[in-house]
Parts: sequence; structure tokens; C-alpha cells
Amino acid sequence: MIATLGRFIILTSVFVSAAGAMIAFAAGKRQSLDGLKLARRFAYAFAALMVLAVGVMEYALLTHDFSVSYVAQVGSREVPTWVTIVSLWSSLEGSILFWGLVMGLYIAGATWLTRNAYPDYMPFAIGTWLSCAAFFSFLISGPANPFITVPQPPLDGNGPNPLLQNHILMVAHPPFLYLGYVGMTIPFGFACAALLRGRLGHSFLKPLRASLMLPWIFLTIAIMLGGWWAYEVLGWGGYWAWDPVENASLLPWLTATAALHSAVVMERRGVLKGWTVTLVQASFLLTILGTFMTRSGVFNSVHSFTQSSIGPTILVFLAAALLFSVVLLALRVDSLESEGRIESPVSREGMFLVNNLIFVLLTFTVLIGTVFPLVVEALRGKQMSVGRPYFDSMVVPTGTALLFLIGVGPALPWGRPKRDQLVRSLLLPFASGAILGAIGFLAGARNPWTLVTLLFGGYAAWVTIVEMSRGGAKVLKRGRRRVGAYIVHAGAVIVLVAIAVSSTMKTQTEVQLTRGQSANIGMYTVTFLGAEDRTEPNRTSMIARFAVTSNGKPVTTMEPRMNQYPQMREPIGTPDVYSTVARDLYLSITNIDPGSQSVSVMMLITPMVSWIWIAVIVMGLGGVVALVPQRRVLAAEAEDRVPDVAAEVA
Amino acid sequence: MIVTLLLAVAISTPPQGQPLSGPALDQRTQEVASLLRCPVCQGMSVADSPSTVAQDMKHQVRDMLSKGYTQEQILSYFEKSYGQFVLEKPKNPLVWILPILILIIGAVVVATTAKKLSAEPTAATADPEPATDPYVEQVRKLVNHD
Amino acid sequence: MNRTVLIVGIAITLALVAVLFLGLGKDPTAIDSPLVGKPAPPFVLKSVNTSETIDINQLRGKPVVVNFWATWCGPCFQEHPVLVENARVIPNVQFVGVVFNDTADKINAFLHQNGSSYPTLLDEQGKTAIEYGVGGVPETFFINRKGIIVAKYVGPMSTEVLQANVAKAMTE
Repeated sequence: MIATLGRFIILTSVFVSAAGAMIAFAAGKRQSLDGLKLARRFAYAFAALMVLAVGVMEYALLTHDFSVSYVAQVGSREVPTWVTIVSLWSSLEGSILFWGLVMGLYIAGATWLTRNAYPDYMPFAIGTWLSCAAFFSFLISGPANPFITVPQPPLDGNGPNPLLQNHILMVAHPPFLYLGYVGMTIPFGFACAALLRGRLGHSFLKPLRASLMLPWIFLTIAIMLGGWWAYEVLGWGGYWAWDPVENASLLPWLTATAALHSAVVMERRGVLKGWTVTLVQASFLLTILGTFMTRSGVFNSVHSFTQSSIGPTILVFLAAALLFSVVLLALRVDSLESEGRIESPVSREGMFLVNNLIFVLLTFTVLIGTVFPLVVEALRGKQMSVGRPYFDSMVVPTGTALLFLIGVGPALPWGRPKRDQLVRSLLLPFASGAILGAIGFLAGARNPWTLVTLLFGGYAAWVTIVEMSRGGAKVLKRGRRRVGAYIVHAGAVIVLVAIAVSSTMKTQTEVQLTRGQSANIGMYTVTFLGAEDRTEPNRTSMIARFAVTSNGKPVTTMEPRMNQYPQMREPIGTPDVYSTVARDLYLSITNIDPGSQSVSVMMLITPMVSWIWIAVIVMGLGGVVALVPQRRVLAAEAEDRVPDVAAEVA
Repeated sequence: MIVTLLLAVAISTPPQGQPLSGPALDQRTQEVASLLRCPVCQGMSVADSPSTVAQDMKHQVRDMLSKGYTQEQILSYFEKSYGQFVLEKPKNPLVWILPILILIIGAVVVATTAKKLSAEPTAATADPEPATDPYVEQVRKLVNHD
Repeated sequence: MNRTVLIVGIAITLALVAVLFLGLGKDPTAIDSPLVGKPAPPFVLKSVNTSETIDINQLRGKPVVVNFWATWCGPCFQEHPVLVENARVIPNVQFVGVVFNDTADKINAFLHQNGSSYPTLLDEQGKTAIEYGVGGVPETFFINRKGIIVAKYVGPMSTEVLQANVAKAMTE
């Protein structure tokens, strides 16, 4: 009965979103205010239906109603309640339903926030959003239906994939990722609205930027959570392997970041409108590509438990969305008139262009690397790999250039720079760059890339702090967008430096120990205390206990383990990580034998790795600061007439 | 002994580098193993994967390094058995050239765009610099005192 | 109508969708063996159940089936009777089992319990397995009279699959 109710709600949402989209586009064509009001109601209705559907599914999960197919798939009476709640997104069908929920909430929110404004754009925006909503509703109603009735319900289910029960981070990563991914639909709608209307007025920039910023914040954190999870759980000691699904999460982030930057130039100078719109469209399209890559089974990935048969359906939507975007762009991009110019290529505006070049280059490089094996196999039938060494070789120099740009860009003034001003603002920061480089050298850094990164990082840090503090204490009330941006930059500088240091200055060793034996790594002495078996309801584990001391003083005990899950052939290791501000000590078992009390363990010291997680959160917080609306009563009126003044005030 | 026989038969050329041992051997094993892809794991290198096949392969790498085989010899040994799939670093030059091409094209586009945008004021510029617009002056005053 | 945008956009769209579409039918974990059509890599290994030493090169003149397996492998257990039976029944074909990452005792126990009709060799550290590009078990190679590998099958075989591949080895 619940299953039938769920199906009914979903089918209604298909109709509501499809009808709403048609009404919205018609209202847009006719510029009908009544039509817009009606379309808004349909948008709210869609959101309400999604909330209802998820409510029904959670009810079914919590009451262990195994007559509902998704509950039979991932539900289990033996897992803790929190696992039951989050198993909503643990497997394909539920996660698409979750996608629908997030989309409904975003659409409702965006519709409500724009309820009194932009009546000439909004019908097109709502129409675009509801068209995407219609597709996902269709997916939930058919190819990815979680509400199928199970004719003979089992007494108990399998529970969600054991890998997902390993670590608490797995709970946070999917929601953040969805809030980032799905959120890109909203700016996509605004961008298409501007194109459909044939105009991108200055006042419309605000919703476009804000709706891009919010999902960007979530996506930034989501990518970090994914890396952190991989580091804590997978056991190889790293946090990023350029796996196809990891790349899928990164691609829209790269274009969205580029769009956020070109939007600044668009706001200040009234140029780059068509380009910014293209980047926003690309960000949305890359999320659809990303979900295809994750769920289609086409790519060989560590994430492969999300494979399914809905690949072809998503591909069709991707193709349709791509064609729609390209044709719309080709027809209307030239009507988005530039309202100004930039004064000199050697200026902050010019640096924004370089920024975009770098981000677009990164996007293409990651895309090419990920897709190339597929192309070769399609054309020649041979299989090849494009692995981490390729991506690292390409991305490291590009990332270093980006770090340099984070310093040089804001150091240059807007407009035409004066010669002596230029020399001063460009050369002074090298002082702090040199200091940071020297500190690194004294701390043992010898790798040339690391030293260059430290140099550029110190440079960028100086510039960021100087620019951030321009304007004194008032700046948090008045210049939030600028301060927020510089907080993000500060975080980014730390991330890049921490990545360089943690990758090049780690110490790694593999030892075989019997009980009571010790090994040294860096400043730590690790003693093997013993191995034991432990049986839990869903797995058997072999745990190795280690005592860690430093200079004779006890530091901690660590318990990496090897877990054998009944449904998997090879055991899965879980490392143990001891994190401090300066470094992490990481232990991962390669071989363990409780019988002979011997263990083969990989020991790893990674400096500064926790800085990466923290600095990304700083980036997210910077985004939040930038997003909080300011009092712009005066500025809003002046904006449409005098772009530059208003932007300076903001 | 059988092992040496096997290797000598399998690789027709003799080791072309110096035999390694100790920490240098450990480090090089790690480095070369990370250039090989584990054939059964989803996307992990031989250096990182805990699976039995990867462990065997790593052992083999270590063995060959200790006898003085070079990285190229070791990589082509595995390529013979497993195919190009096992190489983490692609041999195909196209995948290396394409991003560089895009960089060059992109740089040209950026340079031309920057020139174009800073060339002459476009006809569609909003109201010419309103230096004497009283409303704007008023706004400026209010805003600067706020 | 901006021609550049249209052409570039459509080109990217078509290329991307085509590549993804072609990828849909394939299994990304199935890797073709580069050894098919090449001479079988040589090995000399001791048998654990018949106290002989087998040199693969000495077996030329007859088709050979080399089956890689291990005692801890479930599908190998399923496949074993198929191999044992066919080895008895098919004339003039040499069957050879190669076990790696295992011990002689466990192998003998397994064969004792499940029967055997051909030599089972122990590849101590998996070196022969690596030579043959073996990723997991079971994997089976079919070699013709001239010592060329004509087919490789990954996974447990049924009698039909086994006989079809043996036929390939016999014709060439």
C-alpha cells in the first residue's frame, strides 16, 4: 500500500512538473503575470510532492516495510536507526529520490525568493527548472523506481552496502554533494532565462551570482569530504586518486569557480556576459555528465557500487540538455550586449581572464584524461589507462600557476595601473614568499615544486591579507562580498600549500612485526601489541593493536583492521589515523595473522594533511560570508545607471 | 634458481641498470609499483592496492629492481602480459598533447579577447560617464558618508 | 545566429555523446589479453599431486589447457568437476592446473576431496601467473599444438564453454 502511495505521488509529480514547465514557458512567451503566478504554484506543488514522497519512503524504511522494493534492497532490522535513515541515499533508486527532494527544495526556495521581482525573466527560469524536475520525476517513476511493490516481502533485508557503514563521513558526503550538484540547476535556469529573454540586465546578476554561490559552497565541502573519506577508509594513505567519479565531482566545481570569477568582471564592466552564461550552463551540464559517469557502469571506478542500468536514460537527457543549451546559446548569445569595456589587459580584469583560462584548461584536462580510454577503446578496441601520474603531471603545474595568480591578480588594481604603483604592489609580496620558502627549506623541503609553491603561497597570502583588510573594521558590514572572497582565497592558498607539502614531504615504510616488536617512523615508535579476531553481526574483523610513543612518552594506541564481509571476496582494510595539527600518523594493514601474531603494516607520516580539510571549510565559510545579503537600499537604485560606483560600494 | 631461469627466459635482454638494495630498493619499488595498475582492483595502482595480485606484482617489481632491471624493462615486462591497460602513465602521445594545445588556443583567445575588450568603447555603453549627473553625485555623497 | 558557438557546441556534444554511448555496452573491468595469438610464456613447475615436473615447452605437439586456480576461490570449486571430467573424456589434450598464493598441503587436500585427473602445479609466488597476465582466479588459457595461445577465458567455465575453446585449440 505504501508502495502504491509512493508511486502515485511520483506520477503526480511528473505531471505537475511537466505541466508547470509548459505553463511557465507559455507565460514567458506571452509575458503574462497571471501565467507566472500559476507557474509558481506548480513549482511549489512539485516541491511539496517531493517532500511527501521522501516522507513516505523514510516511513517505510523506519517501519521496515519490506513490501517496498527499495526497503527490501537496503533495509535491515539489524542496523542502527541512523543507518536506516541515511540509507535513503545509500543506493541508486533512493538517491535519485533524494535528488528529487533537493531539487524540489531548491526550486521552491528560488521561486519564493524571486516572487516579487524580475517578472520578465522568471517564467523562463521556472520553466527550465521544472523541465529538469520533470526529467528526474520521470526517472524516479520508471527506470529508478524505489516504490515497486514486492509481491512476497522478505522477513528482513540485506542492509545498505557495508562500505557505507564504515565511517561517519559517508553520511555527510552524499548530502553535501547533492546540495552542490542539484543546486547548479538554479543558476542554469537563470542563465537560460537571460538567453531566452535576450537580455542580461545588471539587476539580474544578483540572483545569478547568489544562486551559483550557494551550491558552490556545498560542492567545495562535498569534494573535500569525499577526499577525506577516501583517506580515512580506503587504506592507501592518499586522498585523491583521479578516479573517474572523483573527477566527476570536480568538473562542475571548476567551471562554477570560473563563472563566479567572470561574473565579477561582468558586474564591474558589463562585459563577458555570454561567456559567463556559457560557464553556468556548463556547470549544470557537467553535473548531468557526472551523474552519468557515476551510475552508468561505463567507467572503471572505486565508486562502482553505484552502477546501474539507468545510464542510457541519463545519456538521452544529457544529449537533450546539451543540444538545448548549445542552440539557445548560438541563437541568443549575441543579443546579450556588452555595456562597457576593460581599460587595460594588464589589470585585475585581465587577470580574471587568465583565471578563466586556467580553470577551463583544468576542466578540459580532467575531462580528456577521464574520457580518453573510452575513446581509444571505441576507435581501436584496445584498452589503456590514464592514471594518477598523468593527472598529477598536468595539474600540478597548472595549480601552481593558479596559486601565483591568486597573488598577482588582486595585487593589480582595477583599470589601468600606474607604473610605480604596479611595481610596488607586485614586488613587495615576494618578501613574504621568500620567508615562507625559507621556513619550508629549513623544515626539510627540497622538492623544487614544493619550494615554488611555498614561494607563491607566501606571496598570495600577503596580497590576500592586504586586500582583505582594506577598509578597516567596517568591511564586514559593508564589503562582505569582497571579504568573503578573500577568505575563500586565503583558504585556497592554504589548501594548495598543504597539498604540496603533504604529497612531497611524507615518510612511508612497510614493516613486518611480531608481537612485541617495534618499528620507528619519523618521530614515532610503533610497537605491535597483538592481533585479535572480532566478530560483529555484519562482518568479522582482524584487529592489530599498536602502541605509539614519541621520545619515550606514550602518545596513543591505534587499531587498524582487516574486515571480511560475507558478500565480498577480498577483505577490506580499515586504516587507523592519528591526526595532529602538524602531521598525521597513518597505519594500514597489508597482512595479518592472529595465529602467529604477526602483521605486515604500512606506516605513513603525512605532514599538514589536516590543514587541507580545515582550509576547505574556511573556503566554504568565506563563501557564506560573501553570500549574506547586505543593505543595498541605496546601491540598488543606483546600480542600473552607474555600475561601477555601485559595485565599489558593494 | 628456477626464478632466475624464468626471468632470464622471459626478458630477452639482460638487466640494464644497477642492482638495488636497502631503502633505495624500497623507495624505487614504491615508485615503479605506482606506475603499474592493479588489473583487478577498480582503479588502484599496484603500490596502493592490498589485493593478492597486486602484492604478487609488487614482489615481482622488487625482485627485478634488486637484479638491476630498469624501470622501462620492468614496465614493458608487465605490458607484455597484461597489455597497455596496466600502465598508469599512458603511452599515447595524443593525451599529453591535447591539453597543451588547448592551453595555446586558450591563451590566444584570451589575448585577443583582452585586446578586443580594451580596444574602443562599444556603442552600447550605458550613459556616458555621468560625472555631472546630480543624482549620482547625491548617491556618492550619501554612500561615502554612510 | 552565432556560427562559431553552434559548430563548436554541436561538435563537442556529438563527440561526447557518441563516446559515452559506445561505452555503454562494454564492461570496463573486462580486459582483453595481449597474449592471445602469441606464444605461451614458458614455465617449468613442480606438480603437487603427481610428483612430476612439467615444462610447458615439452608439451608442444598436443593442445594444452592451462587452468589457473586456488583453493580459497569459490568459483574455482564450482568449475573443478567440469575440468576433471573433460580431462578424462577428451583425448589427446593435455590439461594442466596451476595454483598460486596457496600451499601444497591445502591443494592436496582439495584434490583428495574433489578428485583430479591431471597434474596440478604450484606457482609459489605467482610469477607464472604474472607472466600469463592473470588478474584473478579462475582463468584458463587454451594453447594449440604449436604452442600459441588461441583463447583465454576469465571466470568459471561450463562444459560447453570449455569444449568450445578446446575446439579452437585443436583446429589451429
